[in-house]
Amino acid sequence: MAQIFDRSSNSLARISLVLSGIIVISLGVTLNYLQRSPWVTRQGQRADQPVPFSHRHHVQGLGLQCQYCHTSVEKSSYAGIPPTKTCINCHAQIWTNADLLAPVRNSWATGQSVVWTKVHDLPDYVYFNHSVHVNKGIGCSSCHGRVDEMPLMYQENTLQMEWCLNCHRNPAKNLRPTSQIYQMAWQGPSSSAPVWCASKDVPGVPTAQTVNCTLKDPASNGAQLAALEIPSLAGTYQVATASAGSGAVSLPAAAALHYTKFTDQDALGKYLIVQYHIRPPHELTSCDTCHR
Amino acid sequence: MSSNGGTGNVFEMGGSENMLHEAQDLNMAKETGSATVRAKQPEAAKQPEATQQSESAQVIEAAQARLAGMTGKRYWRSVDELAGTPEFEQALQREFPQHASEWVDPVSRRGFMKLMGASLALAGLTGCTKQPEEPIYPYVKQPEDLVLGKPVYFATAHPFPMGSVPLLVKSEAYRPIKVDGNPEHPMNHGTTDAYTQGTLLGLYDPDRSQRVLYRGENRQYANFLTDFSAMLSASSANGGESLYFLSGTVVSPTLAAQWKQAQQTYPKAKWVQYDAVNRDSARAASKAAFGEYVDAQYKLDVADIVLSLDADFLSGLWHPGFLKLAGDYAKRRKLDPGVTMNRLYVTESTPTTTGFKADHRLSLRASQMEGFAAALAAALGVGSAPAGYAWTPAQTAFLAAVAKDLKANAGKSVVIPGEQASPAVHLAAIAINQALGNVGKTVVYTETIAPMPTEQTAEIRQLADDLRAGKVDWLVILDSNPVYSAPADIEFKKALGHAKVVVHLGLYPDETAQMADWHINGAHYLEMWSDVRAYDGTVSIVQPMIDPLYGGKSAHEIVQAMLTSPDLSAYEAVRATWKPALSAKGDFDFQWRKALHDGWIADTAFAPKTAPAKIAAIPVAAAPDATAMEVIFRPDPTIYDGRYSNLGWMQELPKPVTNLSWDNAALMSIQMLSSLQAVEGDVIEITVQGRKIKAPALVVPGHPDQSISVYLGYGRRNAGRVGTGTGFDASPIRLASAQLFATGATARRTGDIYEFAITKSHYIDHRDAIARTYGDIEAAKTFKPDAAPTSLEANEAQSRGIIRYATLEEFRKNPNFAHEGENYATPSKDVTLFPNWKYNENAWALTIDMNSCTGCNACIVSCYAENNIAVVGKEEVRIGRDMQWIRIDTYFEGDLNAPRAHFQPMTCQQCENAPCEQVCPVGATVHTPEGLNAMVYNRCVGTRYCSNNCPYKVRRFNWLLFSDYETESLKLMRNPDVTVRSRGVMEKCTYCVQRISAAKIRADKENRDVRDGEIVTACQQACPTQAITFGNKNDKKSRVAQLKAQSRNYTVLADENTRPRTSYIAGVINPNPDLMENA
Repeated sequence: MAQIFDRSSNSLARISLVLSGIIVISLGVTLNYLQRSPWVTRQGQRADQPVPFSHRHHVQGLGLQCQYCHTSVEKSSYAGIPPTKTCINCHAQIWTNADLLAPVRNSWATGQSVVWTKVHDLPDYVYFNHSVHVNKGIGCSSCHGRVDEMPLMYQENTLQMEWCLNCHRNPAKNLRPTSQIYQMAWQGPSSSAPVWCASKDVPGVPTAQTVNCTLKDPASNGAQLAALEIPSLAGTYQVATASAGSGAVSLPAAAALHYTKFTDQDALGKYLIVQYHIRPPHELTSCDTCHR
Repeated sequence: MSSNGGTGNVFEMGGSENMLHEAQDLNMAKETGSATVRAKQPEAAKQPEATQQSESAQVIEAAQARLAGMTGKRYWRSVDELAGTPEFEQALQREFPQHASEWVDPVSRRGFMKLMGASLALAGLTGCTKQPEEPIYPYVKQPEDLVLGKPVYFATAHPFPMGSVPLLVKSEAYRPIKVDGNPEHPMNHGTTDAYTQGTLLGLYDPDRSQRVLYRGENRQYANFLTDFSAMLSASSANGGESLYFLSGTVVSPTLAAQWKQAQQTYPKAKWVQYDAVNRDSARAASKAAFGEYVDAQYKLDVADIVLSLDADFLSGLWHPGFLKLAGDYAKRRKLDPGVTMNRLYVTESTPTTTGFKADHRLSLRASQMEGFAAALAAALGVGSAPAGYAWTPAQTAFLAAVAKDLKANAGKSVVIPGEQASPAVHLAAIAINQALGNVGKTVVYTETIAPMPTEQTAEIRQLADDLRAGKVDWLVILDSNPVYSAPADIEFKKALGHAKVVVHLGLYPDETAQMADWHINGAHYLEMWSDVRAYDGTVSIVQPMIDPLYGGKSAHEIVQAMLTSPDLSAYEAVRATWKPALSAKGDFDFQWRKALHDGWIADTAFAPKTAPAKIAAIPVAAAPDATAMEVIFRPDPTIYDGRYSNLGWMQELPKPVTNLSWDNAALMSIQMLSSLQAVEGDVIEITVQGRKIKAPALVVPGHPDQSISVYLGYGRRNAGRVGTGTGFDASPIRLASAQLFATGATARRTGDIYEFAITKSHYIDHRDAIARTYGDIEAAKTFKPDAAPTSLEANEAQSRGIIRYATLEEFRKNPNFAHEGENYATPSKDVTLFPNWKYNENAWALTIDMNSCTGCNACIVSCYAENNIAVVGKEEVRIGRDMQWIRIDTYFEGDLNAPRAHFQPMTCQQCENAPCEQVCPVGATVHTPEGLNAMVYNRCVGTRYCSNNCPYKVRRFNWLLFSDYETESLKLMRNPDVTVRSRGVMEKCTYCVQRISAAKIRADKENRDVRDGEIVTACQQACPTQAITFGNKNDKKSRVAQLKAQSRNYTVLADENTRPRTSYIAGVINPNPDLMENA
């Protein structure tokens, strides 16, 4: 009986074995890349919005502070999307007839919401809290990127769990002084732009009040510092009051501040972890931190 | 391993698996063939009666024989178990209840496989898809004080006919999402009950009436007002002679004031109040004793001896002042230093948790209660003992001991009559309290908290007569459902046809709404302005949490429409009522805002009345015929008089003592069942004066013989999608002359069989027997450790110390009793394969005080609301798929007819050495550094290994898509801080991790530790007796750490080396030595 399979079948079989191996592996690799790709994460995508609101124009151009619109970022889990009223505060006066703002005027007239599309959309089983991040030294731009340079809003990071954990495992690399939270251009300290920090060492006060950090050398630029940032501010001192002649006003005694100079993020981060009482990584990465 | 051996094993396993499947198929075929017939014993139904009788008789005999042979404590959870019936042995062999692993929807297995195949194919694709885009709807003008994501709390009160519950409602973006007690209110200190918790679902119930109807057609409220005012102007000439109002018990002083005002124009108009569960007995007795209607207020915090005459004051809101009484009772049971323990005697005609919490419980037939009360009064020197009553030696001993104890503690004792006891019992209680000098100390009499007290049954009977006499032109029914609830013999439904126009205002298009010409959709109490009084008379303003969802109206608005300013809102009306009182305190607006903020108006409590009672004689009925059968009517512990019957939470809630869910039953003793020649689940026909109902029989240990208890509120015909058709309606045999209990009833077995959904036996497992017979299931079946019965959960209650308690005397002699006994040993911490984790910071822990817990169910409903728990339905509960994260295990002990019972709330124990975590293949259940056993829903793939390995059986699996993702109104109700679980996901108690996280974030921002008491779990918050305490056990100053340091602290199944974080404080009872000797 003639052979059913030709000798070449052997090679075919071998090749197909190899091929199927390659297919399985490449499928795995593809899926891996696919699920991290912007197609899935929407990273970098600009959603269609009813109004092409430009953060660049409003933040960089006009200098609006983040909290003018995102009012509850320090208080609540939500940063807050501004009500139409916030837009109308200014746009009742300027650009009152701009076509682009028709949806806003419409909303104001009809009482119906401007329906935005969510750009940073976490899965429903993830419970993120803005307030604790902002209060503990994570700035807006650490997660949202340079919003002041975005003409149209997009998602800077993947917002996937591995991205969250990257920071929760090592928060030091992103911590900044709470005075710099809303500073979009924050780069972290360097030798050319050092940061001086002093601990006030008062237990039981909110995080933002425990540490003084300044970008100006407190030794040489004392005059430019806010009164409470002045080093060695011990005892009372005299200020001119409105009711001149009433004499010296006694201010509460501030403890002497001893500033430390930081020139790299790592050192600053480690310092702030201690000062801000950041929980250790094993607690920050515990499942119940984000899932309930 | 050789390949042969391996193959052989595989075949063996395959073979046995196939057999298992076949067996299941058979069961399924049986079930689909006859849905109403119990699959468990279908042949039993066809057996002749003689066999039936012998079967149940055998069960009793076997059960009694088992008890007779026992010494010491012996626990059991169901009668089947006590007898060791084959069914129970069979159930024992199953890890899960019968059919728990099967698909019970009307989809065939084949259809299911098709669906599965399709969804698997789709799953491959859906895994790669991204989330859908989500819109954001910001405010146009955001309220100034609103911080989205931060809940706001508002004070209000739950109006309830028996007395209101002051509340603090959690509001998320102005949606009420959790109803809890007002922590600062002196009457409840933040506690609530099951009903009040359940009313939240009532607000969002999709079946609520949503529009005004005129004979079934849509109308506007303005149309009604046009008709109404036309009628009013016509009838003002004759003083409103043919205008009648019918409502439930009026609880609002403002409504009473409005009515008083209306009567000036319409002096002949009549207002009738009727609730199926009312206080007629108390009213009649107080009228007889004091010449006016008064309320009794009991002060259990100063009472050393408490006697309840059928008063169920520890179970729920149906007893006036429940929260205050239960709280005060528990304060005297916590064995705090300097607090002497009280002693509770209970005589009751239907078993309740109050009875089982008592130090001494006496089961009496309802008809004997009067005689007993009068005999006790006679023993204390009031009146003479009633003639004709024959008491058993046990009853005589009980009476003598109680009388002696009461006398010895005169002035420090109290006798509480039940609302469902007859006026004579109330009179006896008033007389005894007065004779003992308790009045002014442990009991005070005040004005009634209901502003228009009446004797309601007589009133509704009169109304029905007036209707038939054609005296009624307009009948306006406010928040009442008389067509369903009125006494059967007054034929209210027929009488209603004689009225010219019937108006019905209500939350639901219910039975009465169907009969009414006008139906006006009512406002829920969370949507309206009103006012109520708490137990001591303190006024709370009811303020709306949300605009009426469907534009509902309240009774205030209807009555206001009759007055000179018909458009005055309820808000203005309530303000007007309290303006004089508040203005007297200072600036009215300031005082008004303070009252709203605080939740009550200070100094509005009633002053005690000092006039003594004048009781000529206690009118005791003739001694009952011992053979006459009685039917006792009681409000349902979960749906009350039917008003909560469309609330899935309440329907699914297992009733205290019986653990029956979704149904009511004819509750009876096992002797009674035996005399009916029936078994549990047999439908019996009960006849009272020729009126019949059919009800399935259920045995309750400790029920008096020759009587049957039935709960009201079931058998609704127009309750809504949840409540319609559940249970049976008991009202056809409830006559106006016998509202509390009916004598001379007859009962017979019909031959039909009814399927109950009882959650009790679901948690039986065979762990111990299997373990001790080295895995041999056959041997485990007959295994008798130490000649005790087979290992059962209940047996373990004793042998492994699940329930531990002692008498006060024993405890004093040996404070460490909770740790001495066989198998109480806890393995050393080092006996583990895994390195021990050091909990350096927070270590969350919980204690449950077995002495305080009364098994009232408030915690379960609170957990429903807090944790978005799904309702599964009767069929699913029946096969053990109920989703409640906390259950209350009832363990009976001792004599079948006079058992003691222990209530043990059982929820995830948050084991430090958790067996569930070790078997999860996907790391979906893991430990947190603070010792929580966390459940990561998005990781769970539904293997259910964790549940198999859980010794406490506290994990709940979403077998199907139980959560309602569709109904819009329910979405408003959900707690946004807790994930809504989908199909195929395991869930369980989390210690309210969302509350822990919120508190930690708050503390972190303020750079401090979480304070003790800052985190309160939902169950703890609701608990009327403060039996549950949560905290950080590493903080030695925390309450939980101090409780855990007590000698009575023990953990359940500690010998498993699970090291639970939840521990129990062993019970201590305070029996009367006189009665102990007799026993």
